[in-house]
This record gives sequence, structure tokens and C-alpha cells, in this order.
Amino acid sequence: MERDIVQGFYTIHRVSPGISIGSRLLASSTACHQTHTHLKRGSSTVKFIDSRVNLTPLRFEGDLIAEVPRAFRAGLPVTFKWLLFPVTDFFPLLSLQTFTAWCNSHLRKAGTQIENIEEDFRDGLKLMLLLEVISGERLAKPERGKMRVHKISNVNKALDFIASKGVKLVSIGAEEIVDGNAKMTLGMIWTIILRFAIQDISVEETSAKEGLLLWCQRKTAPYKNVNIQNFHISWKDGLGFCALIHRHRPELIDYGKLRKDDPMTNLNTAFDVAEKYLDIPKMLDAEDIVGTARPDEKAIMTYVSSFYHAFSGAQKAETAANRICKVLAVNQENEQLMEDYEKLASDLLEWIRRTIPWLENRVPENTMQAMQQKLEDFRDYRRLHKPPKVQEKCQLEINFNTLQTKLRLSNRPAFMPSEGKMVSDISNAWGSLEGAEKGYEEWLLNEIRRLERLDHLAEKFRQKAAIHEAWTQGKEEMLQHRDYETASLSEIKALLKKHEAFESDLAAHQDRVEQIAAIAQELNELDYYDSPSVNARCQRICDQWDALGALTQKRSEALQRTEKLLETIDQLYLEFAKRAAPFNNWMEGAMEDLQDTFIVHTIEEIQGLSTAHEQFKATLPEADKERQAILGIHNEIAKIVQTYHVNMAGTNPYTTINPQEINAKWDKLVPQRDQALIEEHARQQNNERLRRQFANQANVIGPWIQTKMEEIGRISIEMHGTLEDQLTHLRQYEKSIVNYKPKIDQLEGDHQLIQEALIFDNKHTNYTMEHIRVGWEQLLTTIARTINEIENQILTRDAKGISQDQMNEFRASFNHFDRKRTGMMDAEDFKTCLISMGYNLGEAEFSRIMSIVDPNRLGIVTFQAFIDFMSRETADTDTADQVMASFKVLAGDKNYILADELRRELPPDQAEYCIARMAPYTGPDGVPGALDYMSFSTALYGESDL
Amino acid sequence: MLACQHLFIREQVLLRGRAPWGFTLRGGTEHREPLLITKVEEGSVAAAVRLQAGDEMVSVNTVTLSGSRQEAICLVKSSHNSLALVVRRWDVQPCSRS
Repeated sequence: MERDIVQGFYTIHRVSPGISIGSRLLASSTACHQTHTHLKRGSSTVKFIDSRVNLTPLRFEGDLIAEVPRAFRAGLPVTFKWLLFPVTDFFPLLSLQTFTAWCNSHLRKAGTQIENIEEDFRDGLKLMLLLEVISGERLAKPERGKMRVHKISNVNKALDFIASKGVKLVSIGAEEIVDGNAKMTLGMIWTIILRFAIQDISVEETSAKEGLLLWCQRKTAPYKNVNIQNFHISWKDGLGFCALIHRHRPELIDYGKLRKDDPMTNLNTAFDVAEKYLDIPKMLDAEDIVGTARPDEKAIMTYVSSFYHAFSGAQKAETAANRICKVLAVNQENEQLMEDYEKLASDLLEWIRRTIPWLENRVPENTMQAMQQKLEDFRDYRRLHKPPKVQEKCQLEINFNTLQTKLRLSNRPAFMPSEGKMVSDISNAWGSLEGAEKGYEEWLLNEIRRLERLDHLAEKFRQKAAIHEAWTQGKEEMLQHRDYETASLSEIKALLKKHEAFESDLAAHQDRVEQIAAIAQELNELDYYDSPSVNARCQRICDQWDALGALTQKRSEALQRTEKLLETIDQLYLEFAKRAAPFNNWMEGAMEDLQDTFIVHTIEEIQGLSTAHEQFKATLPEADKERQAILGIHNEIAKIVQTYHVNMAGTNPYTTINPQEINAKWDKLVPQRDQALIEEHARQQNNERLRRQFANQANVIGPWIQTKMEEIGRISIEMHGTLEDQLTHLRQYEKSIVNYKPKIDQLEGDHQLIQEALIFDNKHTNYTMEHIRVGWEQLLTTIARTINEIENQILTRDAKGISQDQMNEFRASFNHFDRKRTGMMDAEDFKTCLISMGYNLGEAEFSRIMSIVDPNRLGIVTFQAFIDFMSRETADTDTADQVMASFKVLAGDKNYILADELRRELPPDQAEYCIARMAPYTGPDGVPGALDYMSFSTALYGESDL
Repeated sequence: MLACQHLFIREQVLLRGRAPWGFTLRGGTEHREPLLITKVEEGSVAAAVRLQAGDEMVSVNTVTLSGSRQEAICLVKSSHNSLALVVRRWDVQPCSRS
């Protein structure tokens, strides 16, 4: 007897007021509703804590109660999970009907039924079938014979299976079932219901029954007129069943129309709907429930547990669908980001590819105007076309970083852009663009300066040539004139002298011709575009010069031949001619010098020219004396002619120069030059004003940009306030920077004026427009990048659930080891940092970690990657296994899934996304149209590192 | 006449130490691909025993693989101090005159 007790099952022989068990154990139960049951073992009392056992059926002798845990042997307090009542006669009729319906609800799946619960389980075959259906396991092969021994063997197999699930059935023997003992059969079925339908419901480790009760309470909580406290009277009005259905499938029941005082309608509605739509067989009759004061607890529990199993399955599918949606949404978003990146990268690369040849084209234009147009085009390129591309490039890098962060956060493999569109490719292409751009503007300006010099030289050539051509005008005719043939001796002598004078004049012009040829030569050497016409003109002048020389020689000879015949010379005319000719020559030279055009770039230069001009003017009185002397000779001639009435007066035979000509040239000599110098002076002053205007602005803007850069750097490194504070702060900065843009535009305007005025230097400032432009672009890029960094940090922080304190701590560690203050650690810094945090690293381990934090192999660790790495242990990762398990739920445990199932469980676009990408399933259990969700799930996550 | 023989050879290796072993596994019946090692980390345990990218995994700890990716990954992940692999390798035998 003692051993029986220790084995753990006890038959209660007598109840009320105390229960005596095997005459050794006593259960004292003073009231049915009491939650504590005391079993007495000999004289000691054992308290069954909170067993919540309804002891009503215990009033019958011979009841069997539950397994007693091992602890009971040691006399310690133990907890009963449930009590077992293998009693038949005392199971109300209600239970009989419910149990039969419950059994049939399962047997139906195996294509069979029972009609009489006491008879139909006797051969053990349907019993085994029932256990196989509800457990989902295979039992040993049943004996096919019809003899008693076969039946007993089959029932024993069923009982052994139940026992193997941790339930001991001491008082139930196979023989009694085979013999059709109703009490034993129903006891066994109740045991099965408890074990497989109710005990599996476990919520927060409370007992199965409590768990089921808790589930009912939770699910019916929103329904004010439902109050579930037990498994009997709480269900009488039928609203509990209706609420359970409505909570999960609101479309099936119009809950608002139900009335608490009409239990028949409520119960029938619930049972009919459950049977028709939820596949829960009708286990109870509404009349039976309404007709009893207290419905049978086991029957209600059994029925309710069927609802539980029906709905918790649906909930599982919903959770699975939600998980898949979440994962797919992440995937679709990432794919969109990848597409955007590829598109942006292609566009940018295409633009760079088109732009580089234009910048590399260094074929000079012939004219100033064409070159100026080129300069203007380049200015447009720097001001209008390039800045948006700089932004695009910045945006591209930002997109790339954001995408990699998201991929890392969702556990996906890092994004590898397609061939030739890597970040490094973009950088390289950009580098070549800037390489091509470098020096282009300088080249343009040099070309313009060269053209300016050439234009000036060509103008000089044209002037000298024009003066010379004017001089040669009529000289050939004069030399060929045969006046000497009819002239008198004195006239011949005069002609001879005149010719000598002409020869000296000719000699004086030799220099000029040489100068003209030298200028033409220089223009040729400088590659002047109009060299052919210059050369032709020069050639004409030289040819004419040679012709003049030959004619002069000829005439000289002719005159000399007749010289001996003619001897009269007028001394006075000779004197005049002798002095007037060189003076006239000097005047022509001076005129040439004074009309000489000039280019200057500074006030100092123009002042130098003015000084030179003043010096020249100082020499004029001396020249004026000579002029007066020459005029004096002429006056003397006039006087003599007047005095002596000389016939040969009127024209001077020795020279063509007359006093009027000398005076006219003299009067023109200076004022023209004065005017030119005054104009140039004014122009230089204007240039100086432009320089100062540009310099004043640039000297403000340059330092401003630098200050802003430093401030932004400080904000991102110091950690004042939360990330959101930093973000707000940075956004304000961005706004203030954008508001500054008009100043830059104004400076661009001044810069354009300066270039148009052909000003090439500015001693008032060290900033060039290019400095400012580069600084400005850097500033815009830096602020955008810094904001993006913070945003990524917020993203990471929220995704990983990192607190602000933790974030600050990571930031502090990072800053400590970011020794070069670059906002990123190089590999060495990172290694030092890891060692300081207690990672003992070998080279292999370290390079493995680097491959995680630096998947693109840039050799640096950003703050982003650093916090990713630091928080990866706590990360809530989604994995291929989880997604696969979710699909399996949706597929109803099949190894494949159908398009219709996907459309039913997922939102339309995500369902189509899956259908388009899933391969057909090829396993042996597949059906037409079956889709392979397993390869799809693993493909989302790529390869596995082991 | 020269004839080069292209053959699959079976290579048996024993990795000692602990995870990560330093190789990347790709494919499986789930992807309708063979189980291929696609990467071997330099300086890792896997590199020390001369595993090569392109090796096909045949067995793990004497268990012959069915080809399922999940199975292979479970077997590798459950290895603690040592990991015994058999791989199939496409090998070019020295040329011989025939």
C-alpha cells in the first residue's frame, strides 16, 4: 500500500467531509469552490497550492485523482496541474454528447466517425486513429485480427502512447475498454482531451485550464456584457461564444444585434456559425445548456478549446503574413534605393563623359570675340552646370551610405553596385573631370592675352605701313618724271640737289621699312591668324622699296649725266630744304611715337607713360626753336623774293616741304596724345575700383566660409544634446548657409565685370573666385553630409534600440580614437580602440571584423559602421530561417506555396512581388503552379559566412 | 599526342579551432545549386588547410550531405573544436603522353 502511494496515483474511497485515499491519504475538502485542497498522508497534511480543483465529482467513491509529483514523497508541498476523473456513470449526459462530437471532429479528418462512444472504441482501431490525428504522430502498426487478443493489443498500444505523453492511467486497463466499460472509456477520452486539447494551451506557465480561461478573458475583454470567470455558468447566455467568434471573424456575426436575455438564439447562432465557417463540429445543444442550472465544465472546456485551436491557428498565419510583409517591404525599398543609385550614377558618369572632351579641347580661336565667348561658356559651366552635379555626386554618396546602413540593419548582404558604378569609379571619373578642368580657365586667359598682344602688334603694323605708303605715294612717278630733259641748267642742278635730298630721305626711310618687316616677321612668329594679308602687304612695301631704290639709282645717273650742264642753285632754298627735311622727318617720327597705341594694366603704368609724355613735351621748346629757324629761312626767302622780285620764287625747287605743312603737323603733335592718356587714366581708375569692390567682398566671404566649416565640424564631433538637437542645429546652419547664397552670386557678378575689363591680377585680396567657389561647394557638401550622418545615426539608434546615453558613450569612445579628427577611424585607430575594449585580436580575426565594418574596402571605419559593430550583439535580426518559417505557416505546412495562397495572405503588391520572383517548386510533393518559397527566402539573404 | 585529364578529386580536411572558420558557403538544393565554397578568408583556419573557392562540400563531420543548405549550415554551426570536411575539387592532372 505504501508503495502505491509513492508511485503517485490514488484512489479515493471515501469522501466528505474528508477524502480518504487508499485508507492512507485523506483529502480534506470543505467546499467545492475552495481553491486549496489538502491531502493528508497519515498524520501530516500536504497542501496542494492553488490547484483550483473543482472537487464536486469527488463525492463519489472510487474516483481516481491525479498523479502526485515526486516531491510529495518527501512530504513537501506540491502543486497539482489537474485532476483526473475516470468516472463514467457520473459523467453527465452532456459530456457524453460533447465527447462524441469532439472525437468526431478529429476522426473526420481521417475519414471516419463514431456513433456510440462506448462501443466504437472497443477494438482499439479508431482509438489509435484518433490519437494519430490529434497528435500528428504515427503509432505502432495496429493488429488486423478480430480476436480479443488483437483488440487488447491495439488498445494497449493506444494506452502506451498516452502514457508516453506523460499521462499515467493506473486504473484504466485495456481489458475494460475492450469489454465496453463506459466509465473507463469516457475517463480515457477525458484524459485525452485534457492532454491534447487543453494542456497544450499554456499561457505564462499557469495550468492548462487557467491558460484557457485567461485566453477567453483576454479575447472577450472588449465586450462589456461578457464576463468569463469559469467554464460553466459564465457561458450560459451564449454571448461568450459569440464574442469569441466576433472578435476573430467580425463578418460572421452581427454582435450588436444580440441580446443577453435570449440565450437560445445566442447559443444557436454561435454553434451554427462555428460549424459552418470555422469547421468546429457542434458539440453541445443549446437546449441542454439553457436547461441546466450549471452546464458541464468538461464539455464547455472541450468545446472552448476547439475555438482556441481554430483561432490561434489564424492568428499564427496573420503574424506570419505580417513578418513577410515587413521583410518584403524592406527588400522592395532597398531595391528601389539600389535602382536610384544606379540611375544617378549612370547619369552622372554620362555627364562627366560628355563634359571632359569639351574641357580638354585646347584649340585656340582666331579672334578675341570667339575666345571671350569661350570664357563666357566656361563661366556658365562653373556657375550653372557644375554646381548641380556637385550636389548630385554628394547625394549619390549619401544614398550609398544610407542604403548600406539599411542593408546592415536588416541583415542583408552589402550592396555591390554594377561594374563601373562603384563609389570609387565615380570618384575617379570626377577626379579626371577636375583634372581636365584644371588649367582650362588659365589657358583661356593666356590665349586672350596673346590675342590682345597680337591685335596690338597688327595695329602697329598697319599704322606704320599706312604712313610709309602715304610717303611713297607718287614717288615712283616723280622719279620717272623726265623733267630734267626740258629743264635749264640751274633747274637741273636744282633737280640734282633735290634728288640728293630725296636720296637722303629715302635712306632715312630704310629704318622704317626694316621696322615694318620686323613687325611682320614677329606676327608670323606669334602665329597671327591674318598673317597672309600682313605678309602680302609687307611684300608689296618691300617690292616697292626695291623699285624705288632702282628708280632712284637710274634718276641719279640721269641727273648726273646732265649735271655738268646745269649749275644754278638757290642757296636759300637749299638752306631751307636742308633744315626742313630732317625737321619734318623728326616730326613724322614723333607723330608716329605719339600715335603709338599702348596697353597698360595698372595706374602706375599709365602714370609712367604720362611722365614720359611730359618729358617729351619738355624737349619741345628746343624743337620749336628749330622750327622757328626753318620758318625764319622761309621768311627770309619770301623777303628776298619780295625784295628782289626773283622769278624762281613761288615753289622751292629743293623740297616739297612747305611751312604750312610743318605748322599743321606741329599743331597736331601733342593734343591727341594728351587726350588718349587722360582716357586711359580714367579706365585704369575704374579697374582699380572693380578690384577693390571684389576684394572687399571676397575678404569677408572667404573667412566666413572657413568659420562655418569649422563650426560644423565642431557640432558633429562635440555631442551637445540629443541627436535630434544636433540635427535641428545643423538644419538651422544649413538654412543660414543657403541664405548666404546671394552674396556669392553678387561676388560672381563682380568677378564677371573684372574678367570683362581684362583685369588679370588683384593685389587687394588673396582670394580668387575659384577659391570662393570651391570653398562654397565644400561647405554645402559638408553640411549635407554631416546632416546625413546624424540621420543615419538616428536610424541606427532607433533600429537597434540604442539609448541616447549609449550613443554618447559610443561617440566619446570614437572621438577618443579618431586621433586624426577626420570623423572616421583608419584601420590602426580602430584596432587600438578594439584592444582597449578588451578584444584580444589576431590578424585573421581583425581582418574578419574589418570586412564587416568596411565592406567596400576603403580602409576606414565610419562612426556609422562603428556603432553598428558595437551594437550588433543586441540587434534584433531577421533571418532567412524566420522568413522561411513564416511562409511555411502561410502555406499550411506545405513545402511549397501557391499563388492563390500568397494573394490571400499578403497585400496585392507584395503578393505579386513574391509570385514574380519565386521559382517553380520541383520537389516530389509539388503540384502544378507550386512555388518555391525556400529558395526565395534564402536568396533574400545571399550567402552565409561560416 | 598530349592528353590532360580533368578530374574531380576528393579532399579530406580537418579544421581545428573555433568559428568563424573563414569560408563562405553558397547554394544548396533550396537554390537548385551545388553547395559551393565561394570565398576563403586569408589567414583563416579554412585557408590553413587549403580549402579553395570552388570546392563543393560533400560531407561535414562524417555526415554525408543531402545537398540541403539548411542541413549543411546546421552541421557546420554545431561544430565546436574541430570541423571535418570532405570536398570535391575539380583538378587538372599532370599531362601525360599517350
